[in-house]
Amino acid sequence: MTEPIRVVVVDDHAIFRSGLKADLDERIEVVAEAATVEQAIAAIHEQRPAVVLLDVHLPGGRGGGGAEVVAGCAALLGETKFLALSVSDSAEDVVTVIRAGARGYVTKTVSGAEISDAVQRVAGGDAAFSPRLAGFVLDAFGTAAVANVDDELDKLSARELEVMRLIARGYQYKEVAKELFISIKTVETHVSSVLRKLQLSSRHELTRWAVDRRIL
Amino acid sequence: MREPLIRSTEDRIIAGVCAGLARHLNVSVGIVRVGMVALALAGGAGVLLYIWLWLLVPTAADEALAAERAFNPRDIAENFARGFGASGANRDGNGQAGPPGRRPVSQPLPQPGIPAQNADGTGTPRLLQRGGKEILIGAALVLAGGAVVAQIAGINLPWGTWLPVLAIAAGAVIAWMQLDDSRRSGLMDRAGATGAQGAVRLLAGLVLVVAGIVTMVSGSITWEAMWPTLFASLAVLAGVLLVLAPWVLKYWRDLETERSGRIRETERAEIAAHLHDSVLQTLALIQNRAGSEQDVTRLARAQERELREWLYRDKRQEEGKLVDRVKAVAAEIEDAYGHPVEVVAVGDAEMTDRHEVLVHATREAVQNAAKHAGGGISVYVECTPGRSEVFVRDRGPGFELASVPPDRMGVRESLIGRMERHGGQARIRNTGSGTEVHLSLEHPQEGTAS
Repeated sequence: MTEPIRVVVVDDHAIFRSGLKADLDERIEVVAEAATVEQAIAAIHEQRPAVVLLDVHLPGGRGGGGAEVVAGCAALLGETKFLALSVSDSAEDVVTVIRAGARGYVTKTVSGAEISDAVQRVAGGDAAFSPRLAGFVLDAFGTAAVANVDDELDKLSARELEVMRLIARGYQYKEVAKELFISIKTVETHVSSVLRKLQLSSRHELTRWAVDRRIL
Repeated sequence: MREPLIRSTEDRIIAGVCAGLARHLNVSVGIVRVGMVALALAGGAGVLLYIWLWLLVPTAADEALAAERAFNPRDIAENFARGFGASGANRDGNGQAGPPGRRPVSQPLPQPGIPAQNADGTGTPRLLQRGGKEILIGAALVLAGGAVVAQIAGINLPWGTWLPVLAIAAGAVIAWMQLDDSRRSGLMDRAGATGAQGAVRLLAGLVLVVAGIVTMVSGSITWEAMWPTLFASLAVLAGVLLVLAPWVLKYWRDLETERSGRIRETERAEIAAHLHDSVLQTLALIQNRAGSEQDVTRLARAQERELREWLYRDKRQEEGKLVDRVKAVAAEIEDAYGHPVEVVAVGDAEMTDRHEVLVHATREAVQNAAKHAGGGISVYVECTPGRSEVFVRDRGPGFELASVPPDRMGVRESLIGRMERHGGQARIRNTGSGTEVHLSLEHPQEGTAS
């Protein structure tokens, strides 16, 4: 048995925090909790956890919520990974926190086992995509493989599109791997690469998509 | 950057005007005070200037209040939370220091320890937002009037006359200076004088009115007597305007605060009504049905969906299009069977007769999944120009189409048959960990929106 993953839980609802702690399995150790932006930034700097489970809507700070916490811990992004957690699945919330640097997004309604899986995936340096997030990616980058773009960041490869589509259709990583006859590791590589593009791309269509929804 | 002109609430003798002015002009308070007293002795100009600044210059608390009002909350939930917080603070403030009969909403937070007569002064921040232009014109007219009066009196601009005039002009200019660019432009817009057209209209009106009055009066008085009288009247008029303007402005501002307070009040009432009609009712129902786990889940899920729709609705998504219809179908089946149905959509398409068929087939597929598989169901809608696809996936035991007896019409007829009759396709496959139905519709000539 390897060492448990050290996790900080950031959420302003104490009931939710204790419920989540009870739901997470034994691979995960909760080392600290925080309820506001300031508390979260302080706790993360003190504990240096592997993963932060981060609510998108948080009181305190300048009103930026989860994205502000990620921004406040920008120096630690190499060792600490952020997994966003929210009841909201609006494009505005999801894409804002992902572009701030979070490596995944899960909704609060999913089971403890699924959150534990996502934590482990994020701790391993991969990305945790929900069907909804995959839908946003496809919506933003377009569903057709684009031929004429200058920057490699600005388009998804045919394979990445396939992976995103399957995730949007409700497939889990291992089901995607089976469907496409590739290894889970390869699926994870594709998803991480999509995450990077989502975070870094300044592609015109992505910007317009975001502006339409008043995200950026 | 120069400090903004704000009345001081700590360092003050009467209303903190001198201290604020000193900070703004970056000179010592003593000099300003001595200057003010000297001006007051010079024909009472200092007193006028002081009162003028007292009425026009906001305190720090007023500024903070204005900034808070300008805050634009990001979403309804935050707005909601802020609304309650702010109302609490307001109530506290008024309960503490507000005398009875004062308008509850329009009052800024009273500062403890401010003398009673100052309460009016505290309520007049940013008077210049409206009508600052008029004040400037008034000041200029007074200046002109003063010059004319001096000429008539045969005195060549003595200091006793000039000092008060200059002081008033300086007061107006200083108050004008503290408006930042955006406020100033907003003001110009409102006065309707930004465009050349507005200026021309204003000028034409003035000329007409003055010409009319002059023609009327000139019948009885000779032209020689006319001009000085005209100037003197104008000067008196301007003086009256100058004195009255701040009071009128203050009244307007109170009205404005009250209106914005009322808007906030209405907003909060609307949210409260919505929460009452939906969330509170559902919570009461859940308490009644606490015994049945399935009922509780179903109620909670339906309420969640409703609230989510209300709070986070994607504003670009239009009603009556394909995605909207599929979501309605999913919600209906979720309610009927108590299994969560998650819809992910990419793009959207206008409804046509053939899309109607697609929606029906989707309903059939989701219903089958809810009935036979249970658990979570994923629906994925993808629309590109020329093609609409729907994937319905469950995590049930799965079934083989071949093993379905021919007399079971559901799948074969409702799904495959119907889609194919309308030029679409329906495929059902067992993924190994559940069933996936794939419905697709090609529509090369029809209008779509992606």
